Amino acid sequence: MKKFPIYFVLLILAVFACVNPIKDFVQVDAQSFLDIEADLNDQPGGSVVKLNMSSKSLQSGVMAPVAKAGVSVTDDQGVKVLFSETTNGNYTCPKDFKGVAGRSYQLNIQTKEGKVYQSSFEKMQDVPDIQQVVSQFEIKDNFGKQDQRRAGFNILVDFQDSPNEVNYYQWNWKHYEKITYCAFCDGGNYDFVKNQCNYNPPSGHLYRYVCDGNCWDISFNDDISIFSDTYVNGQRVVGKQVARAPYDDKTPYYFELEQRSITKTAYTFFLSLANVIQNSGTFFDIPAETRFSLNIKSTSNPDEKILGVFNVYSVKKRIFYIDRTKGVPSNEFPLYKIIPGETFTCDFPCKSTVSCFEGPTRTKIAPVGWVQ
Amino acid sequence: MPVSKKSILSLTFVLLFLTAYPLAAQDFVVPAFKGKVIDSNTGMPIDGASVVIDFKKSGTLTNKEGEFQVFIPNGEYVFKISHVGYKPYRGRVSIAGKDREMTISMEDITKQLEEVIVSSVSTRKDIQTPSLGVSILSIKGIKRLPTMMGEVDIMRSLQTLPGVSSVGEGANGLNIRGGNVDQNLIFIDNTPIFNPTHMFGLFSVFASDAIRELELYKGGVPARFGGRTASVLDIKMTEPNLEKFKMQGGIGLVSNRVMAEIPVIKEKLSVLVAGRASFNDFLFKWFAPDNIKSTRANFFDLATKVFYRPDKKNTFSFSSYFSRDYYRVDSLFSLENVIAKQTSFDYGHTNFALSWNHYFNTKTSLDVVGVVSDYKSKTSSVDTVNAIDLNNKVSYKNLKASIDYQPNEAHKINVGLSAVRYDISPGRLNEGVVSRIATVLLPDEQSWELAVHADDEFKVNKDFTIQYGLRYAQFLSIGPTAIRKYAEGQPPSDASVIGVENVAKGSVVKSYGGLEPRLTMKYSLSESSSLKFGYNRMQQFLQLLSNNTTPLPTARWTTANEYIKPQISDFLSLGYFKTYNENVWETSLEAYYRESKNILDYVSGSNLQLNPNIETQIIEGKGRAYGIELMLAKKKGELTGWVSYTFARSLQQTIGDFPQLQQINNGNWFPSNYDKPHNLNMVMNIQPSKHHSFSLTFAYNTGRPFSSPSGLYEVAGKKYPVYTSRNNDRISDYHRLDFSWTIYNPSMKDKRWEGSWVFTIYNLYGRQNAYSVFFKPYYQGVRPYELSVFASPFVSLTYNFKFL
Repeated sequence: MKKFPIYFVLLILAVFACVNPIKDFVQVDAQSFLDIEADLNDQPGGSVVKLNMSSKSLQSGVMAPVAKAGVSVTDDQGVKVLFSETTNGNYTCPKDFKGVAGRSYQLNIQTKEGKVYQSSFEKMQDVPDIQQVVSQFEIKDNFGKQDQRRAGFNILVDFQDSPNEVNYYQWNWKHYEKITYCAFCDGGNYDFVKNQCNYNPPSGHLYRYVCDGNCWDISFNDDISIFSDTYVNGQRVVGKQVARAPYDDKTPYYFELEQRSITKTAYTFFLSLANVIQNSGTFFDIPAETRFSLNIKSTSNPDEKILGVFNVYSVKKRIFYIDRTKGVPSNEFPLYKIIPGETFTCDFPCKSTVSCFEGPTRTKIAPVGWVQ
Repeated sequence: MPVSKKSILSLTFVLLFLTAYPLAAQDFVVPAFKGKVIDSNTGMPIDGASVVIDFKKSGTLTNKEGEFQVFIPNGEYVFKISHVGYKPYRGRVSIAGKDREMTISMEDITKQLEEVIVSSVSTRKDIQTPSLGVSILSIKGIKRLPTMMGEVDIMRSLQTLPGVSSVGEGANGLNIRGGNVDQNLIFIDNTPIFNPTHMFGLFSVFASDAIRELELYKGGVPARFGGRTASVLDIKMTEPNLEKFKMQGGIGLVSNRVMAEIPVIKEKLSVLVAGRASFNDFLFKWFAPDNIKSTRANFFDLATKVFYRPDKKNTFSFSSYFSRDYYRVDSLFSLENVIAKQTSFDYGHTNFALSWNHYFNTKTSLDVVGVVSDYKSKTSSVDTVNAIDLNNKVSYKNLKASIDYQPNEAHKINVGLSAVRYDISPGRLNEGVVSRIATVLLPDEQSWELAVHADDEFKVNKDFTIQYGLRYAQFLSIGPTAIRKYAEGQPPSDASVIGVENVAKGSVVKSYGGLEPRLTMKYSLSESSSLKFGYNRMQQFLQLLSNNTTPLPTARWTTANEYIKPQISDFLSLGYFKTYNENVWETSLEAYYRESKNILDYVSGSNLQLNPNIETQIIEGKGRAYGIELMLAKKKGELTGWVSYTFARSLQQTIGDFPQLQQINNGNWFPSNYDKPHNLNMVMNIQPSKHHSFSLTFAYNTGRPFSSPSGLYEVAGKKYPVYTSRNNDRISDYHRLDFSWTIYNPSMKDKRWEGSWVFTIYNLYGRQNAYSVFFKPYYQGVRPYELSVFASPFVSLTYNFKFL
């Protein structure tokens, strides 16, 4: 048995055991490998390939991008699609390209030094709809009263599994939260040219800058959530927990949930990641290992170890709001987030608002289905 | 006898008080304190014993007649008489104007019965026997050692011996001389123990009250034992008293115990019943946060023995042993890919053994034993739509007979036969259960392990003894079964299946067999020292499938088959033993080297859960273990104990038949999870009077290995460690000091009911010893964390009673 109720072991040990960070840790080995993060999906223009050299350090994960490589995908009918480099090491498919369920794809990469990498053919599986989403309020008492992880809403999904083959699923989510303040500067100086706070010695006085328009912070799932239908093939899968929303307010909570149908190789890959990060630190850990070259191999040097996976999947999305007043006992109150600092104000023509800059964790474009 | 009945502490206090007042000689005649010191057994006077009054304020020696005389002023004094080879005598004397006389008898400790915790057979029976690497532990001694949470624990006590370790506190099993936990053959009255712990590794399964003694064979395993490659732990239950009713028990923090010996027909038939039951739930209720409060964790063991001696030539005994654990926990997962809210675990042994001993004459006796044993585990969740009910079972039946024959002084011969039947039900999920979760029934495994053995201890001459034996074991895996056939030149996998061969019921699927030579030799260098050599080969047909740091109690056992070869291990050892001062001190040096083949490892990302084709998940490798064990023990007297140092290594290499795809750690040797090179153990027991005993144990060892990453990579914006080699770093070193104080019969009255209190502090200085090291995301990278199991001192108090 691989996955054990870690939670339980932690409970038993909660009384006696403790977990401490190691302060004087010395890294015994340092190596770097090519890391290929290749996603191919059924979303138009949504397929991306990222090429990096992995970091030798454990503290700062700065990856060196592998630029100017030739990246393409070939399907089982021999149709080849070229990816173009958007930023250093990031390669994107043409805007109108999307993968088709039932078809198989192969990834080809040639670096500027002439090294050639090729994946095995991976078949895109069709993904069923999310039939129902349920939220359930739950208290986890192993966390303290002031811990955000204590009270929350479990998000459970139901869907119909396909009876024909072994299916593998993955869930990812995005949460958008509308924000009022776009910058927090110690000492209060925002540089509107560089668009960042001026460096000031810590003054203990924090100023916050109001956004100059609509702005949303985006957060993502931290955990890997995967599932295989080994024991429920062809059944309606009920009550699969895929996320948890915090109880930090009573306002509706915006949620964008993605259900993916992934390949067996991708499932194996994500399971190994989960075992290393999520399922470690128990009595019953399994040996920590990294799965190299799962479905991508170097044709020029077959012994080269390659990180990452060619992940071919189809997606169904569901956008919804969680009612954070439902099912909550009357004696449970939200653990409101405190926004630190003092709002920066000054008279015209002095500027006191900061723009909302687009990025992976921030946007000024209202998410689909946003209700004011 | 004017023996001080106060504790040594109060004695010390009185002494300090007295010495604070200088007692000057006055004008009147100083009275004399006269005495005669004799040997308590022989009554002979002891010459040259030293007599010390009030810690050397004045002192003298006894003369040839054992007499002494000291002049001391009026007052109350403490005196101590000591002599080499005798237990020191402490007493109090009050001088009031006239002479005082007394006779003091001293106990010869060289003739004292050993009550030590452990002894190597070499000195206990006789340094001159050929056994090597064998330790005997007396339960009486074990009970004096400091315990964890007040539970007398055999598995923990064994870890104070050189060559015995585990992956960490709370580990489920022992690693003996670099062997895996499933390589130990554990017997309790001839019945096998498949899982030696309760509560996932926290406590041993054995109810200590029912146990008389334990023999641990770390090497030099006699030919009558077989089936496991590293060691044998043979636990003997007490034979109930045929004459007198006796009862004993205890109340502790974790469990309550009771044991009774009940004579039914005087001198013929008697019964022993011993039980232990936990009431942990209250621990959760009192100390645990709210949601652990709903956790249920309970265990019990029950041992019974019926002993019948119809006449002087025959004895029969029927032993039974039950153990059970039950937990109910809230958890999101119990099995991978199963949705469950709350899960229960339930497992335990049901063992029975019937044995018959017949004495033909003083030279010949016969032993026949029949054993039936079951180890079952169940994982269940009663969740309405996703209910699960998973059952595993190992069923073991054994019939064995052996004859002891001693034709003359020079030979001790033992020959025997044994047949073991294994029926393993490796996993039955949701059999007859209505649930959305599928029914998965793994096929049962049947097999036989047949063995014959002969062994002779031959005393060649006064100095040289050789014990040579041979065991032949034949293993047969039996149908019905279906064997998958895989394409040649490819590792077994779902992709390389080319067909299935069905084997009919009762047909032999696969058989393995081999000779297991056993040899130990002793050469006496003198009356008090000897040199010994041992070699043995062992085969193991039953193995535990687990790639966890320590196996789960629900882990699956499997026997050798078409694809799983039996483990074979060759073991060599050499020892030097010497005793001093008529066996009061003992030193030993043992060195060993062991090589094993066909030990199991697992493919990357292996899936062992309910897998019908386990051959696709395993790789066979090699193991190598070696070490040197040094021990100095004081076995008699007021202070007993030992210090041992061990240097030990345990290494593995897994290449597999298809190195490109299977090899682990690039095919290089790597340290096993329990490789701890330096080990130091100290055990000290001081018994200054009949009413007190103090024990201290100290343990130090090198931290065990773990895999340390060599960098980071990114997946979906998150950082993950990159692991390139197995067990390439070590967790911090382990050390711990425990203390216990036992007060026997605090009322000090001789009554049939005798109570005692044991006060224990486990991990006295609260060292946060690491169990494991793991990595979690932290800012831009990952950060190492360590998990400590018993991270603070743990104080407990236990009350024990005896009714004699």
